[in-house]
Amino acid sequence: MKRQNNAAWLFLIPSAVILAFVGVVPLVAVFNYSFHDIFSLDQAYWIGSQWYEEIAGSQRFRASLARSLSFSALVISVQFSLGIWIALLLSRAPRYRTPVLMLMAVPLVVPWNMIPIMWLNLINPETGLVGRVFEALGIGFDYKFTALHTWILLIVMDTWHWLGLVVILVYAGLSGIPPAYYQAAAIDGASRLQVFRHVQLPRLAGVLSMALVLRFVDSFMIYTEAFRINAGGPSGATTFLALDLGENINGFSYGIAAARSVIYFLMVLAVAWVFRLVTQAREGAGQ
Amino acid sequence: MRTARSIMGFLGFALLAGFILLPLAQTLFLSFLSTIPREGIPEGQATLLNYRNIVAMPALREAVLNSIIYALLNVLLCLAVGLPAAYAFSRYRFVGDRHFFFLLLAFRVTPPVVLSLPVFILFAKVGLVNSPVGIALAHCLFNIPITIWILESFISGIPREFDETAFLDGHNLPGFFVKHLIPAIAPGIGVAAFFCFIFSWVEVVIARILTVTAGKPITMAINALFGFQTDIGLVMAMTVVSLIPGVAMIWFVRNHISRGFVVRV
Repeated sequence: MKRQNNAAWLFLIPSAVILAFVGVVPLVAVFNYSFHDIFSLDQAYWIGSQWYEEIAGSQRFRASLARSLSFSALVISVQFSLGIWIALLLSRAPRYRTPVLMLMAVPLVVPWNMIPIMWLNLINPETGLVGRVFEALGIGFDYKFTALHTWILLIVMDTWHWLGLVVILVYAGLSGIPPAYYQAAAIDGASRLQVFRHVQLPRLAGVLSMALVLRFVDSFMIYTEAFRINAGGPSGATTFLALDLGENINGFSYGIAAARSVIYFLMVLAVAWVFRLVTQAREGAGQ
Repeated sequence: MRTARSIMGFLGFALLAGFILLPLAQTLFLSFLSTIPREGIPEGQATLLNYRNIVAMPALREAVLNSIIYALLNVLLCLAVGLPAAYAFSRYRFVGDRHFFFLLLAFRVTPPVVLSLPVFILFAKVGLVNSPVGIALAHCLFNIPITIWILESFISGIPREFDETAFLDGHNLPGFFVKHLIPAIAPGIGVAAFFCFIFSWVEVVIARILTVTAGKPITMAINALFGFQTDIGLVMAMTVVSLIPGVAMIWFVRNHISRGFVVRV
C-alpha cells in the first residue's frame, strides 16, 4: 500500500516547473489575449468577449465543427473496426505477432508532414505507383477539385498513419486476458462471437477508451496532414477546426486565434474529463 | 479447413503489409531516381545522387543535426524531471496527486496547434526562438506525461522492500536513484527515451513556429525544398533519412510499443 507523504511533492517540482512554463503560462496568456484586439504584441486593446461572440455566431465555425466531427467519426469507425479485427486475427496467429506489430508501428514514427508528401507522390498520375494504376484503369482520382476524393484520400492516409496505434493497444489488451477466461468460455461452449462479446470486449474497455481518446483528439484537431493535402479545399470542403486556427495565426489575427485556441482547448479538456470519469467509474466497478 | 484458414490468414496479413509498405516503397523508389533534368543524367535514371546531395547541402545536413539535437535534449530533460516524479507517484499518496495526474492527461492530449501561438509569443519574449532548447522544452508538454506514466509503471513493478534495503545499506537518495533504481528499471528508461525521441522527432507544428530564421528541423528543411521546380527525388531521400531513427529503434522496443500510447488518469 502506498504511504501518505506530502513531501513527495518535492519530487514533482522539476516537472511542475517545466509544465508550468510550457503549458500553464501559455494557457493563461492565450486566455488573456482572447479578450483583446491585438495589432502588434505591444498594442492590444480590451474588447471583452467580442471574439467569442464572433466565432460562436459564425456559420463558418459551425461548418468546420461539423466537418471535424464527421472526420473523427469516419476515421474512428474505420480504424477501430479494422484495428480490432486485425488484433483478433493476430492473437490467433502468434507467429505473425512480432513482424506485424513492428510493421504497424512504422507509420507512427514518420514525421507528420512527410505523410501527406508520401501519399501525394503515391497517387501522382505520372510517377506514383497507385496513380499510374488508376491512370491505366481509367479511374479518375481528382483530390484537388472533387471533395469526395479529397475526403477519401484523407481518411485512407489517416488510417495508414494511425491504424497501428489501435492494433497495438488492442493487441496489448488481448494479451492481458488470462487463459483461464478462454478455458471457462470453451467449457461453456461459447461461439467465437460470444467469446468476443462476453470475454474479450469487457476486458478491452480500458485500452479501447485510451485509443478512442487519442484518436478522437488527434483526428478532431487534424492540421498538418490535412493542410498539406489540399489546404482545406476544394472550396472549404476539408477545412477542419485546426485549419481555421492556422489561417488566423498565419494571417497575424492573434486576437481571434487566441479565442479559437481557448475554445478548442476547452473541447479537448472536456473530452479528457469524460475519459477520466469513465475510467474511474470502470475501475471503481472492477474493484 | 485448417490449411484453408491459415492461407486466408496469410493473405490477410499480406494485404495489410502491402497497404503499409506501399507509400514507403514509393518513397524509397523515388529517392533513388534522378527526378529533375540534369546535364549528363537522363530523368528517371537510378542514382545515388539524391543522397549525395543531402551530404553536400549544408542546409540539409544542419537540419538533420538540429532535429537530433533537440530530440536528444528533450529526452534528457524528460528523463531528468520525469524520473523523480514517477518515483513519487509510484511510492506515495499525497495531496493533489490525482489533480496533477489529470493535468498530465490534459497536456498529453492537447494538440500542439492549440498552444502554438502563446508558446511562440512566450518563447519570443525570453529568447528561446530559433534555438533547439526552445523546441526541446516545448515538446516536454506531451513528453513529460508519457515519461512519468511509463517510468511509474516500471517502478511499480519493483517491490518497496528494494528501496528500503538500499536505504538501510546507507545510500542517500541521489545514490539510491543512480546506483539502484536506474539500473533496475533500465528497460523502462530505454522505452521512455524511445517515445520521447520519436514524439519529438515527428512533431511539426511547434518545431516550425519556433524556428523562424535558424535552427530549422529536418521537417522544415523538407518543406523548404518545394518550389518552382521541386526535386522530388531529393525530397524523398530526405524523407527516408527522417525515417531512419524511428525504424532503426522499433526493434529494440518491439515488446513495449503499446506503452507509448497508454493514457492514464
